[in-house]
Amino acid sequence: MIAEYGQLALTFAFCVSLALAVVPLYGSFKGNQIALELGNPLAYALFFLTAFSFWALSYAFWANDFTVVYVASNSNSLLPWYYRLTAVWGGHEGSMLLWLLVLAGWTAAVALFSRSLPLQFQGRILGVMGLIAVGFYAFVLFMSNPFMLSLPYYPVDGRDLNPLLQDFGMIIHPPMLYMGYVGFAVSFAFAIAALMGGKFDSTWARWARPWTLAAWMFLTLGIMLGSWWAYAELGWGGWWFWDPVENASFMPWLVGTALIHSLAVTEKRGTFKSWTVLLAIGAFSLSLLGAFLVRSGVLVSVHSFAADPDRGLYLLAFLLVVVGGSLLLYAIRMNSVRSQARYELFSREVLLWGNNIFLLTATLVVLLGTLFPLVHKELGLGSISIGEPFFNQLFYYLVIPFSLLLGLGPWVRWKQQQVQPLLKPMSLVAIATLILALGTMAATQSIQANLALLGLLLGAWVGSSAIFELLQRLQQFGSITQGLTKLNASHFGMTLAHIGFAVLVVGVAMTKTYSVETQVRMKAGDQVELAGYQFKLVEVYDLKGPNYSGEAAELDVSYQGDYVTHLHAEKRFYPVQRSVMTEAAVHARLSRDLYVALGESLSEDSWALSLYVKPFVRWIWLGGLLMSLGGLIALCDKRYRRRTASLDQKDKADA
Amino acid sequence: MRKLAFFIPFVLFIGLSVFLFSGLFSDPMARESSVLNKPLPAFSLPDLQQPDNLWTAEKLKGKPYLLNVWGTWCVTCNAELAYLTELREQGVMIIGLYYQQPSDAAFGEVFNLTALQQEVKLKLEQQGDPYQWNILDKDRTLIFDLGVTGAPETFLIDTKGMIRYHHIGDINPQVWQQKLAAAYQSLQE
Repeated sequence: MIAEYGQLALTFAFCVSLALAVVPLYGSFKGNQIALELGNPLAYALFFLTAFSFWALSYAFWANDFTVVYVASNSNSLLPWYYRLTAVWGGHEGSMLLWLLVLAGWTAAVALFSRSLPLQFQGRILGVMGLIAVGFYAFVLFMSNPFMLSLPYYPVDGRDLNPLLQDFGMIIHPPMLYMGYVGFAVSFAFAIAALMGGKFDSTWARWARPWTLAAWMFLTLGIMLGSWWAYAELGWGGWWFWDPVENASFMPWLVGTALIHSLAVTEKRGTFKSWTVLLAIGAFSLSLLGAFLVRSGVLVSVHSFAADPDRGLYLLAFLLVVVGGSLLLYAIRMNSVRSQARYELFSREVLLWGNNIFLLTATLVVLLGTLFPLVHKELGLGSISIGEPFFNQLFYYLVIPFSLLLGLGPWVRWKQQQVQPLLKPMSLVAIATLILALGTMAATQSIQANLALLGLLLGAWVGSSAIFELLQRLQQFGSITQGLTKLNASHFGMTLAHIGFAVLVVGVAMTKTYSVETQVRMKAGDQVELAGYQFKLVEVYDLKGPNYSGEAAELDVSYQGDYVTHLHAEKRFYPVQRSVMTEAAVHARLSRDLYVALGESLSEDSWALSLYVKPFVRWIWLGGLLMSLGGLIALCDKRYRRRTASLDQKDKADA
Repeated sequence: MRKLAFFIPFVLFIGLSVFLFSGLFSDPMARESSVLNKPLPAFSLPDLQQPDNLWTAEKLKGKPYLLNVWGTWCVTCNAELAYLTELREQGVMIIGLYYQQPSDAAFGEVFNLTALQQEVKLKLEQQGDPYQWNILDKDRTLIFDLGVTGAPETFLIDTKGMIRYHHIGDINPQVWQQKLAAAYQSLQE
């Protein structure tokens, strides 16, 4: 019964989204106060109905209600309860329902936190969110309904959740990712509302900033978790694959990062106006494009959901209406806007412009790499594939100038910067960079001119520049302790995010250069040496889990005779889905990971094992974590919570 | 001119959508075979059961036939054996190209021809034997030249030794009717 209530709630939610798309927008153009004020209750209603519907589907999973087709295809009575709940978003229909829940959540949050915005503007934002919602609710209700029943002939048990998804990383990866994707819908709605109004002062940028930061923070976290999950679960030690679906999440992130920086310029200096609006449209458009690519089967990917051309056609039509419509509105409205502010060649504006150029070039590289095979084939030129070397090569070239600019950026003032005052601090940073990079290299490896050294230099440059700049800024308040209480949270957030980027660059460069691996055949008692570590296979024994069986290997690892750790690697067979999964054993330290995957049984007593030693691989995720933490801290800035006009004036004076 | 510049994003997006639209209706896995309408690459490979007998591209000319890439290790290949045998009974000539997996010396695997012959014989006795004979491609040279991505794959070859069709995946009644039957019939005449 509960599933039917869920279906009912979803239907009501669809009706509410229709009202939300029409009523506040009508009010905003006709100046109808009552219609405008209806926006908030409608947004809340949308959220509660969707939340109820989501709860109903979760309950069906919890209670093993296999009359629901979606539950039967993605769960099994033997599945542990926590995976039964996360199986809710393990397939296409349920993950779309999660998408709706996140969309409704953001809409309700906009209604809740922007009550101090002018009513007309708020009404337009909610109206745009409503328009987006209509498209997605109709898609779920009519084309991807998770509440479809198979009565009266329902199966006695379910087909089980894809074993790849039975992992902790998978529990939180999709919700975080969707929070990011859909979060950009809010920035988008702000931009469209501003376009409708045709008023482009810097206020809309300030209002949009915290929302963009929040979405960006979630997306960063989501991408990082996805990378971590792939590393732990796929069993060959990789952490990024340039898979079309990863690219689909990476493109909105790149544009979102550009948007955060461009919004800062628009807010503080009133320039880059048309550019910022375009980025806000672009970030959400790329999220939609990602949804289309994943769910239409246009591209081949390990992530793809079962392809269905009807769904693809619908999503494409939706994409055309939303993106095409907004770009058209942009073209019509934006060409009359001109920026007045002036700035010199050496100024923060120009450096941030450089930041945007590099981030957008990176986006273009990813977009081309992802879509070029499709375009190539549709032009009748045959099938090609674009792989890792293409992306890696181009990203090496992009990251060097980008990092150099990033180390310089925070030091440079708005409008104009004299070169002279920067010479002393920048030379200090340069010296610190050399000491840090060469020191780290000497301590962990031998000094060589290679990719790792380049990464260390760039990372140390960005990192030490960020720290020095923070210290200098704090000292301006009299003393560092005084500064700690007075400096605004945005600045701390920015510094932390930049350090996160530095950490990420170091991690990628070191892992790429110094990772070693070997595939070996081992018997119990055998010992293999890799990068100075002795891996000893102690035993392999049979394993029995709730919904799988398999084998486990126990290894002892020592380094130059000293015992380091014990490793436990598993190979699981999931009978319902007839698939084999690797649970790699990982011993993680900041300086390196030891990674062991158990392979095939080769004879009675010998096994194939893959052994990896991956220096600094943790730094990749640590970097991502620091970036999103930076986003979180910046969000806490008091500035975003005061709205009165007098304070707005004061802000401008400060800037 | 400045006004028009703001339409650039819109125009680019519409251009992209055209490709996305056409992409919806084509199979992303489908790829044009590079060997289509080219002669069978030159080779000289032994018969699986009578290794003294060497087969070459020349020797195979004369009748249209299906060249079926398979192996006992390949589950899908085993599944299609029954239907292929049915086709053989209808008079379709099928030649097997045996896909031998690489032996990994590090894992103590050694290529053993007698054992393989026994295995193939047993398998074909159990599941049906669609093949006139089997060509053994031990080092996968011909398989590489043919651009085979996996097993099973099937090539339709005409009387002059030209490759007329390249099918990836198993052959079942539906695939045969929709894709191969007509082409095979036309070669008969």
